[in-house]
Amino acid sequence: MKNQILKIGIPSKGRLKDKSLSTLKRNQINIKSTKRSYISEIKNFKKNEVVFSHPREIIERLADGSLDVGISGFDLFNESLPGIKKNIQIYKRLDFGFADLVVAIPKDWIDVQTIADLEEISFNFKDKITGKLRIATKYPNLTNDFLISKGVTQYKIVNSLGATEIYPFTNQSEIITDITSTGATLKANKLRILKDGFILKSSACLLVSRKSLKNKKKKDILKYFLNKIS
Amino acid sequence: MKSKKYSENLLKLFKNKGFKVKNFDNIIESKIIIERSGELFKKSLLSFEDEDGKNFSLRPDLTISACLDYIKNIKRGEYKYTYFDQAYRRTFGAESLVRNQLGCEIIGSNSKKSEIEIINLIDSSLTKITGNKNIIKLNNLNLFNILVDSLKLPTRWKLRLKRHFWRPEYFKDLLLRLETGSDLEKNVFELDKKSFLKMKKLNKDQKIAGRKISQILKRFEKKISEPRSNIDGKKISKILKEYLRIECKLKDAKQILNKFEIKHKLNLKLENFNLFKLNIKNRETIFSTNTGRSVEYYTGLVFEIYKKSKKLNLASGGRYDNLMQILGAKRKIPAIGGAINYDNLLKI
Repeated sequence: MKNQILKIGIPSKGRLKDKSLSTLKRNQINIKSTKRSYISEIKNFKKNEVVFSHPREIIERLADGSLDVGISGFDLFNESLPGIKKNIQIYKRLDFGFADLVVAIPKDWIDVQTIADLEEISFNFKDKITGKLRIATKYPNLTNDFLISKGVTQYKIVNSLGATEIYPFTNQSEIITDITSTGATLKANKLRILKDGFILKSSACLLVSRKSLKNKKKKDILKYFLNKIS
Repeated sequence: MKSKKYSENLLKLFKNKGFKVKNFDNIIESKIIIERSGELFKKSLLSFEDEDGKNFSLRPDLTISACLDYIKNIKRGEYKYTYFDQAYRRTFGAESLVRNQLGCEIIGSNSKKSEIEIINLIDSSLTKITGNKNIIKLNNLNLFNILVDSLKLPTRWKLRLKRHFWRPEYFKDLLLRLETGSDLEKNVFELDKKSFLKMKKLNKDQKIAGRKISQILKRFEKKISEPRSNIDGKKISKILKEYLRIECKLKDAKQILNKFEIKHKLNLKLENFNLFKLNIKNRETIFSTNTGRSVEYYTGLVFEIYKKSKKLNLASGGRYDNLMQILGAKRKIPAIGGAINYDNLLKI
């Protein structure tokens, strides 16, 4: 166990960071306060390094084994490619970061209430208008899997990096899929969630790298850390 | 070696009947497929970008390659293609990235003669090289479309059933929805009637996220005028399931379908189908309503050939009269083709 540094990934900003830190604190894991640096460590703990990263990056680094354990979103984990997911184990769903990944359409599309309606109008787009119904999203894989399983095949994904909710009204897409916790942002942007348009229920997760779990030298320190989190 | 012998012999037999052996481009511009076929097919493409950001894919299917070659180089008249080459698709599960495809296509022909030619040629060639007798299963997808049109269903449901006929698993879900009436919630309609009345006062040409208000209102009104509660979903689902179980000798097919029509008071317009009069040489030809449900682009006659003793699928094909336009042809170009299931052939 000597010389083995436990590498922990924590979201680098926002509510996910604050809630992650308070959850760890509740479990007597106190991270040294840092205002600017993206690297820190847990006080009074075995050798460790805390890396503050983007939640997507935490997942990538857990998969390649450069992080041993980390906190990220269930949505981001599921959005990852199978080759990434198979290298990570979900140790625990945490009690914060609750949000739903949903299909949202302009509220004034009053004739569209369900995914079945969406499937129908997607064919009208194919035949008449711009050629394809465009769906803006930060979650192309989950969106594809969901829509295809529901019979919607005639659409085009537009990859969005932020402010997805404005895409339908800036002619960048017709509809969106996005993460929402209260629905307020969607409503404020004149969007409405389809009745059966819930793709995934997400929350924060404690994730572990399978490579680290297999590493005999790290196993003990990793278990020690995980056991501390109730 | 068996593989080489089979492919050489089959290509020789096809060439003797006037089919021209063609080699197609390995790489095609992805937008030709993506822009027209949607995300479902895109998922299976092996794509990459060049330095200008243009997206290319390894050819995913040789029927598509033949169609693209026709659009680019042949343009008019009947052309008979044959090929033996590799196609490349992203794998899901245990499938291989590389698929050997051996097939023949007649592009630019809508004649009954071409249909018979393709089926007889593939069937007799397979018998010649394997020495085994085969069973042919035939169907015409238009029969299903006419059946659906003759049912008492809202138009949107009819279209939905037709669109998803080629996806048997999802089709089962659709039938379940039809049976249970889980398609529509009345209270949602009531709520949105208020929005409907408000929107009626707006400029009908105004667009909301790409759709004109007139378009939204028209579809809303259509939905209200075709209420879900008027559908006898259970009865209709039962009829469709019964239809999809029909399997009989081709010579008996018309009579059996006729009985089905009378039983359910339907009109399948059987007199319009030449399927029952096709001069198929193989006497072991079966009519099966469930045949040809694996490929989206088939439009009419479809066939599958099986090794008689093992029920091993050796070939399948059909008419695809809309595919050329989907891939960019400026006019409708009819076509029919068939592909040998090469992996199964090697198992014999």
